Amino acid sequence: MDSVVRLSAVSAVYEGERTPALHNVSLSADRGQMVAIIGPNGAGKTTLLEVINGLLPITEGEVRVLGEQVTPGSHRLRRQIAYLPQDMFFPPATPFLARDVVLMGRFAGIGPFRAPHHKDRQLAMDALTSVGADALSRRPIGRLSGGQQRKVLLARVIARQPRLLLLDEPLTNLDPDAKGEISRLILSIHRQLGLTTLFVSHESGPLLVASERVVTVVAGRIVPDSVEEPLLVKAA
Amino acid sequence: MLGIPLHIVLPTLIGSLLAGMMCSTMGVFVVRMKLSALGFAMSHAAFAGAALGLLLASVDPLWMAMLFAVAAATILGPLSEMSRLDADSIIGAIFPLMMALGLIFLSFAPSAGVGNGALSLLWGSVLGITMSDVYKLAVLAATLVIVLIGFGKEFLAILLDRKLAAASGINTRVHYYLILFLTAIVVALSLQITGGLLIYTLMILPASAAYQLLYDIKKVFLLAPVLGAASALFGFLLSLIADLPIGSSIAVMSTIIFLVSIVLSPKRRRTRFAAQ
Ligand SMILES: Nc1ncnc2c1ncn2[C@@H]1O[C@H](COP(=O)(O)OP(=O)(O)OP(=O)(O)O)[C@@H](O)[C@H]1O
Ligand SMILES: [Mg+2]
Repeated sequence: MDSVVRLSAVSAVYEGERTPALHNVSLSADRGQMVAIIGPNGAGKTTLLEVINGLLPITEGEVRVLGEQVTPGSHRLRRQIAYLPQDMFFPPATPFLARDVVLMGRFAGIGPFRAPHHKDRQLAMDALTSVGADALSRRPIGRLSGGQQRKVLLARVIARQPRLLLLDEPLTNLDPDAKGEISRLILSIHRQLGLTTLFVSHESGPLLVASERVVTVVAGRIVPDSVEEPLLVKAA
Repeated sequence: MLGIPLHIVLPTLIGSLLAGMMCSTMGVFVVRMKLSALGFAMSHAAFAGAALGLLLASVDPLWMAMLFAVAAATILGPLSEMSRLDADSIIGAIFPLMMALGLIFLSFAPSAGVGNGALSLLWGSVLGITMSDVYKLAVLAATLVIVLIGFGKEFLAILLDRKLAAASGINTRVHYYLILFLTAIVVALSLQITGGLLIYTLMILPASAAYQLLYDIKKVFLLAPVLGAASALFGFLLSLIADLPIGSSIAVMSTIIFLVSIVLSPKRRRTRFAAQ
């Protein structure tokens, strides 16, 4: 009942492909858990995250988030899920300011015919400040560096105040100092808000150390022994 | 043509301003969402529809134009939406077909229709606009304003990035088709002023100019209709003074505005610097 995420025998095939990108995957994560997803390039890690928030349709099995079945039409449910995509880069001419990119993360929840509330703007600014990007708030997003853009997108995810956090390589493009800071920030938000967090990462660091579980994905399957493996215990 | 009394050209002036503002507002979507090919196909479909309306005589060309444009959006929209590689070439094959159909319909149209009415479908007309056309444009403009205010946040989120918008819980498909249908209707209604051949310039160029000049999408939505209205106003004046078809005059003016925006654009500076 406490499962925030539950996948039962899920398979997913990309349009026009013959081999499934995910094959018979079962996985569940409880409230408050931090789950690391690792595996080689092309293993299906990104696919796994996009199946969980329903951006990708599945061909077999069932995905449930917060007790509700997930489909591509689960728009309301997605308002509880914040997703940071793996490669998202805005070209220089992109006509949006950084603070608007963050604020827009909250738009779906506000609903049509309503203006963003003062509280929404405050949350957006606070999120930018928390990732150390408050000085960038009025800059066009496309004129920021890759790492700066990453921080703004992280702020967007934070400002959404989700219950489930899906992060696809949150630390790419960040310098070593920023990697440490952002990792600690993600951890503190995860704990403060009692979130469930699934993240994909290729690097060791505070996030991986703090994960209750590490799930290894290889060739569209979860390696059986990889689940329920508390890293801290192993290290000790 | 300057001798024409004001009350005869006034509907055209107001109509051009409304059409200029609406086309360029939809252009803000079309340019950013890379729907140019689709917009092009829709405007040619509207032309073919209007021509069929003239041919059938009993049907209002306006409704036929709308029907054709909306049908084009419905049929071609999914192609564009899935951003299939061949979408542009398929859509590219549609608009010459629509053009050809339109011309065939016109050639069969009853001789009464082939005067000003038929030609204005192609080139636009200063005299072809009545107050009733202006009312229709005004109703559409009011509708557009309400929809843009009501769903503005959702539209902006989609214009930033469709995938991010979908991930945050916005039903992007519904809004995508809302944009397509609004564009189709705006194109169909504006057709009689600029004509089917050049309406596209009024949709794309003022919006592109606004994008050249600004980094904030909210300001783009304010500047684009101003530039669209300016294109329409100066185009209208040029057509009166030089006795040119109004569609061509508006196209010339919007092109000039676009060229000026490229020269002034802060977005080009880096490129220019790099080229040295
Ligand atoms: N849009 C797509 N169309 C077809 N196949 C795809 C698509 N995206 C991914 N795939 C395939 O699905 C499989 C899993 O891809 P996925 O992006 O989930 O890998 P990943 O584990 O995230 O890899 P990486 O570490 O490189 O990000 C790969 O074999 C890939 O070729
Ligand atoms: Mg990936």
